[in-house]
Amino acid sequence: MREATISARKKLGHKTVVVLPVHYPRELFTAMDVHTVELWGPPGPPRGPDAGRIQAYACAVVRNALAFLASGGADAVDAVLFPHTCDSIQGLATLAPDFGGWGKPALRFLHPKGGDGIAARAFVRAELSFLAERLAALTGRPLALPRLAGANGLHARIDGLRRDLLSRRAFLDMPDPALYRLLRRGEYLAPEDHLAELAVAASGLCEERVQRGVPLMVTGYAPEPMTLLDALASAGAFVAADDYAAVGRRIPLSPPADGGDPLDTLAAKAFVMPPCPTRGGDQDVRMEYLETVYRRSGSAGLIVHVQKFCEPELFDVPAIRRRFARIDAPLLFLEGEFEASLSGRVVTLLEAFVEMVDARRRAP
Amino acid sequence: MIARRVRYEIVSRAIGPMLVAMERWRRRGRGAGRPEAPFGPPLESTRKLKELTTLQYLAGRFADGAVPVAWVTSGFPVEALRPLGFHTVYPENHGAICSVKRMVPELSEAAEREGYSRDLCGYARADLGSVATGRTPVGRLPRPDLLCCCTNICQTVLYWYRALAAHFRVPLVVIDAPFVYGEAQPHVLAYVADQLRGLTETAERVAGRKLDRGALVETTRLAREGTRLWGECLRAGRARPSPWTGFDSFFHLAPIVAMRGTRECNAYYRMLRDELNDRVARGVGGIADERVRLLWDNLPIWFNLRDLSTVLASNGFNIVCTTYANAWAEAGSTFDPADPEGSAARAYVHVLLNRDLPYKLSIMKRLCREYGAAGAIFHSDRSCKPYSIGQIDLMGRLASEAGVKGLLLEADHADPRSWSQAQAYNRLHAFMELFA
Repeated sequence: MREATISARKKLGHKTVVVLPVHYPRELFTAMDVHTVELWGPPGPPRGPDAGRIQAYACAVVRNALAFLASGGADAVDAVLFPHTCDSIQGLATLAPDFGGWGKPALRFLHPKGGDGIAARAFVRAELSFLAERLAALTGRPLALPRLAGANGLHARIDGLRRDLLSRRAFLDMPDPALYRLLRRGEYLAPEDHLAELAVAASGLCEERVQRGVPLMVTGYAPEPMTLLDALASAGAFVAADDYAAVGRRIPLSPPADGGDPLDTLAAKAFVMPPCPTRGGDQDVRMEYLETVYRRSGSAGLIVHVQKFCEPELFDVPAIRRRFARIDAPLLFLEGEFEASLSGRVVTLLEAFVEMVDARRRAP
Repeated sequence: MIARRVRYEIVSRAIGPMLVAMERWRRRGRGAGRPEAPFGPPLESTRKLKELTTLQYLAGRFADGAVPVAWVTSGFPVEALRPLGFHTVYPENHGAICSVKRMVPELSEAAEREGYSRDLCGYARADLGSVATGRTPVGRLPRPDLLCCCTNICQTVLYWYRALAAHFRVPLVVIDAPFVYGEAQPHVLAYVADQLRGLTETAERVAGRKLDRGALVETTRLAREGTRLWGECLRAGRARPSPWTGFDSFFHLAPIVAMRGTRECNAYYRMLRDELNDRVARGVGGIADERVRLLWDNLPIWFNLRDLSTVLASNGFNIVCTTYANAWAEAGSTFDPADPEGSAARAYVHVLLNRDLPYKLSIMKRLCREYGAAGAIFHSDRSCKPYSIGQIDLMGRLASEAGVKGLLLEADHADPRSWSQAQAYNRLHAFMELFA
């Protein structure tokens, strides 16, 4: 599917860029006719021996990504974007382009880690301009601000529909696996195509609550393996609230302030996003946010689903445990390694957790 | 407040120095000790180093409530804090002490009981465990009024200090130093300089006084001079035999990390430099029989330094240079008292750990060339991913491009539970045989 999309965009004369996790200004790429395909791993065993160039105590995401790039998995694209997400992706952003594994242009996007402020806002604006210059070098065309304004609007509509689907999850008659496949197609589909799909799905939102299963909230890096959602559905649960870095954390909480200059608007978007440990920010604010989302969604339990060695997520786990223990919310901690499939042990854990949560929920 | 301040001043200016003097008097005439094979004579300066460290931690026990206290990361631009009278605590330095004293497993387990993963940085686990239990080998750490973290050494400190800020409920200043690919872009330097100006505002508010620009200029000058002096100490290691070992330098870098920008720091390094140069003049080596010279990459294995250095020295191997100790002699050389914020932005962004792999390789090649290192030990440090990712390629390139043989040694800078001594020493002996 990804290859077909890349091929279709190429026929239109568009460049394609592979993007590593997590946050990046997709609007800028859309405005410059650059198609983006996100690379969240990929899951499963590494493709080729280059994973061995990174120690086994680094996360599977960077090890698999290096192996994937070095094995030619992304040869059809024109560049790779390495957002400044964590130490490991930062390391990969010099290892692959400088020491082998990726021979085409390597783009970087640095986002501020110290929270909001005048300096941070000016920096995001400058980084966007810098990235636009690099994209102009790739495409041969400079950024046109009216086109960026259009792209901002297009992605705002996409964000709005994604927000609706997630925040009104209980009113959508669609199983989690199907919903997440839809949401994650946004990682590689052309924005217009993704928007059309989302609009169809959103038209199915009901007035009445249709999800009758055990409502759970999830937080973590990415819903991988996707069979986790099958297991939850089989156990009689559904994801009522999403705080995955790959999904819910990339939907702005509110539209960014429109300052007239579309580059300013895009820069402002960075500061209306849900709290994410990869961006820094106050830990208490994030805990408050998680609790609010949990309560608002009517969730009856929380699954903390992190990848092994993922420091940004792991450092927040004790605070999450404390906060949810305080409100007496059941919590299941799952640590994965970007496996291709779910182990029987984890399936049993999920089933037992859902059963326990359901029993609590039904207790008088 | 006044009573606490008086007690702090008495401890740091009178009782502490008096205790140190008494200890010195007790040991009078003993010299620094005789050489213990396979090492050369101990450095006289080590005593002074212990005194400085003791005084720093002793004063720290009485600092909270007396003077503003800041917990800071090792790569934090501390120059603005000194003129405001902050007592600074370096949790990484404290983590190293915990590791040397073999307290990390106990502290780490306390952190793990709180929910922190064993896969996180050992310094962070030791610190968070110490915060949770109050246990520390230094008696007591003062409670912070301000937390200061700079992302130029890793992102880990950001997550770690967020957790500390939530625990202590005090302001956290983050100086975000974006990673440098090639050379830093002008907008990156402007961003860091802007943050430094913001730091001053927050630090002034916490300290309750205004920053004296003249004092900041002087601190910046002292930091530059300290960096230069530390570099002179390290360069003594170019002599054959090297007057000390790279492992010695790990201990002696404590002042440039934790006392940067002070007169005491610089006075100490003048003394150390003079002693090292004297040893060079007299042909006194850090180890008794130096045959093979090596480079060390990454942080030390604090809990095993003595054993490891003995194994190496017994076989005539001396670590003569380290990328870690050298890092503290590089970036600070660009401090400019005429432009404290601008030059600090440039200096702190361009530290080794914040730069790409081609730069790291160039530094390694230069060190091997200048110090005559024929081999390199790459400490693959489970606790430090930013330092470790890329080492496998660096080792290969150092071998193919500079003819320097390499060994990747799996360990951890703080936690002995991640260390397999038999396996590591087998590999080390096999490596040493390559030089037979």
